Amino acid sequence: MTIDAARSRPARALIQRATLGTALVVALGACGFVNSGDDSTEDGGSGGSLTAYVNTEQNTGLAPLIEAYEEETGGTVDISSATTDELNQQLRVQLTSGTAADLIRVSPGNSSPVAAGVLGREGELTDLSDAAWTDELGDDTRALAEVDGQVLAFPVSRNAIVMAYNRQVFEDAGIEVPTTWQEFVDACAALDAAGVTPIAAPFQGGIFFQFWVYALAGTLVYAENPDIDAQLAAGETTFAENPEWGEVFARIAELRDAGYFSDGMLGIPADQGMQSVATGDAAMVLMVSAGLPQLHGYSEGGADAFGVFALPGNDDPEATMVPVAPDFLAVNAAADPEAALGFLDFLAEPENVAAYANEMGVLPGLATDVELDSDVLAPIAPLLADGRSVGYANYLWPNGDVQQTMLQSGQEWLDGALDTTALLGQLDAEYAKGQS
Amino acid sequence: MTLTASPPSVDGGQQVGRRRSRRASVPYLLLVPALLFYAFVVLWPTLQGAGYAFTDWAGRREAPGFVGLDNFTELFSAPAARSALRNTVVIAVSTTIVQTLVGLALALALHSALASRNLLRTMFFAPALLPPVIIGFLWQYILTPAGPLNDALGAVGLGGLTQNWLGDPSVALASVIAVIIWQNAGLTMVIYLAGLEGVPPELHEAATMDGAGRWQRLRHVTLPLLVPATTIALSLTLIGSLKLFDQVYVMTGGGPGYATETLSVVMYKEAFVSGRYGYSTAIALVLTMIVFAFALLQLRALRRFEVQR
Repeated sequence: MTIDAARSRPARALIQRATLGTALVVALGACGFVNSGDDSTEDGGSGGSLTAYVNTEQNTGLAPLIEAYEEETGGTVDISSATTDELNQQLRVQLTSGTAADLIRVSPGNSSPVAAGVLGREGELTDLSDAAWTDELGDDTRALAEVDGQVLAFPVSRNAIVMAYNRQVFEDAGIEVPTTWQEFVDACAALDAAGVTPIAAPFQGGIFFQFWVYALAGTLVYAENPDIDAQLAAGETTFAENPEWGEVFARIAELRDAGYFSDGMLGIPADQGMQSVATGDAAMVLMVSAGLPQLHGYSEGGADAFGVFALPGNDDPEATMVPVAPDFLAVNAAADPEAALGFLDFLAEPENVAAYANEMGVLPGLATDVELDSDVLAPIAPLLADGRSVGYANYLWPNGDVQQTMLQSGQEWLDGALDTTALLGQLDAEYAKGQS
Repeated sequence: MTLTASPPSVDGGQQVGRRRSRRASVPYLLLVPALLFYAFVVLWPTLQGAGYAFTDWAGRREAPGFVGLDNFTELFSAPAARSALRNTVVIAVSTTIVQTLVGLALALALHSALASRNLLRTMFFAPALLPPVIIGFLWQYILTPAGPLNDALGAVGLGGLTQNWLGDPSVALASVIAVIIWQNAGLTMVIYLAGLEGVPPELHEAATMDGAGRWQRLRHVTLPLLVPATTIALSLTLIGSLKLFDQVYVMTGGGPGYATETLSVVMYKEAFVSGRYGYSTAIALVLTMIVFAFALLQLRALRRFEVQR
């Protein structure tokens, strides 16, 4: 053995051992066998503390209530938020991986992979049926909050689809708020003659297009046949066979063919559509009530510059229905429900229902008699009081893919590349796929 | 003095061999931690992901069911997916060709004694530094029917050229392609500028002395020496455009209708909007194979040019 060799062997051995040791640590660490030394756990699982993952609108509305809750009970609510789209995309993964918050925002019905109906049937949500506030659920909300006889979601608010119009433009054209379909078409014609785009149609992406479908379906389909969803599910009818569904698209086509929608509607984003109403380039826009503050912000006149009305679907003013969507919270079944249930009870107290609605300018989630600061939605209040509200048509379709097809193929239909029969046929095909 | 060379004894030879073998193994042992890390972080999830392509995994807790090739059958039979496949190829081919030509032209123009060349290089390269999402939002605004582009066309008397750039299904895909080229042509330019720096000036001098004109020097001296840069530029552009997502999703969401949908957009929607992770993984697998095949074909073709040079 040479001296060099004698010196180098221990060195090589050291390198080899260090290499193998590092490799083992990396390997075992990757497998999760090595204690990283970070034994800290989330403090908040006891003492009335809970975590919540909500959308940005809920976050804004809940912030003052959380402060009051923490002060009143001594508990804590660790809340995080994301836009509804982002939340829907992340929540599924969080639930599967066991990292979801105690209180979560869920979509109504079956409208997304994280909707109350979908998660409820998978056993991901806690049964809330014993809560006192369940007596305060309105019929259209209960239909979406209940899954297999269990109440699984709490409505923090409700949004309505309303036609927002520029008061000055209507006044200049000498137009009264229309209450029937014929009056509505006549109003569009008068506005068109006055050189104003009658209807802002920011149909890029299809989101605002779907409001037309739901608003007209409320009056033309659901008011005529409240069992339509059950019949579709049972295969007793289809979109293509159902004459009322055909009428919905015939109405929209009538407006499109008359040129009452914005030019280049498929390329107009939502904010530009609303801005055109605020500036008076267009007269009205069909939108959800939650977006009204944004619309008001585009005008120096604020809320006073605009009015709202329910879109009529036929020539009976008493038949007009208002599509209403609850904004839900639910309790993760994997969580300790006690704190979350207590927080929902707190939110259900009438003053808190009113506080949330006033903070956000939305309709109260529960059918509680509360005083609202804003009268922006006053024109549709009588309809809601008469029970003339209906859930969005897509909520009880078997999954979100039917809606997605309507959004995308609906754009082709608006462009004239697809006729109504073909569009409804595509919805039927997607519906059937969702049921299989 | 006589020196005799005798072969090492058998034992001595074995010892030397073992020593050499041990020494040779040290570099490989040093690679082990990195390889293990790579295996756990990249290889294993990739293989696992590929496995999900043959299931109906919906992101739920219960084990997914094996569906064989159903996801792939759906991918190649669904009109929307076929449209996305076609759009992906159209975007990839057109972007690769046009962006490379534009980048080359810019590089040749700015590889000169022009006083403002550095400023111009910076200006052309700047869009490549911006996040694709920001680019998407900017151009979505610029290309709206009442947006700045149509306004500008109208202002200079070209009102007849105004378009519904992102809302007309027959124009939307071309608009998206133009935006992508606008953003990335500067990057291609930089690659070619680096290549041009490596072209020896004495070759141009020699060609000039032989009577070669500007075009002949470009054709027979510059371009052949830019083949390695072309290989890099084409590869990066092709791979990037095949997996294009951000700009399309932000500007059009794949619409109007299905006019600008790409495989990446469909993959995203199927996974995160519809919750069909198995089908989405199948799309990802097909996209990976397409990228791999295109990249391999391109590299082989261009290497041939490099060897001939």
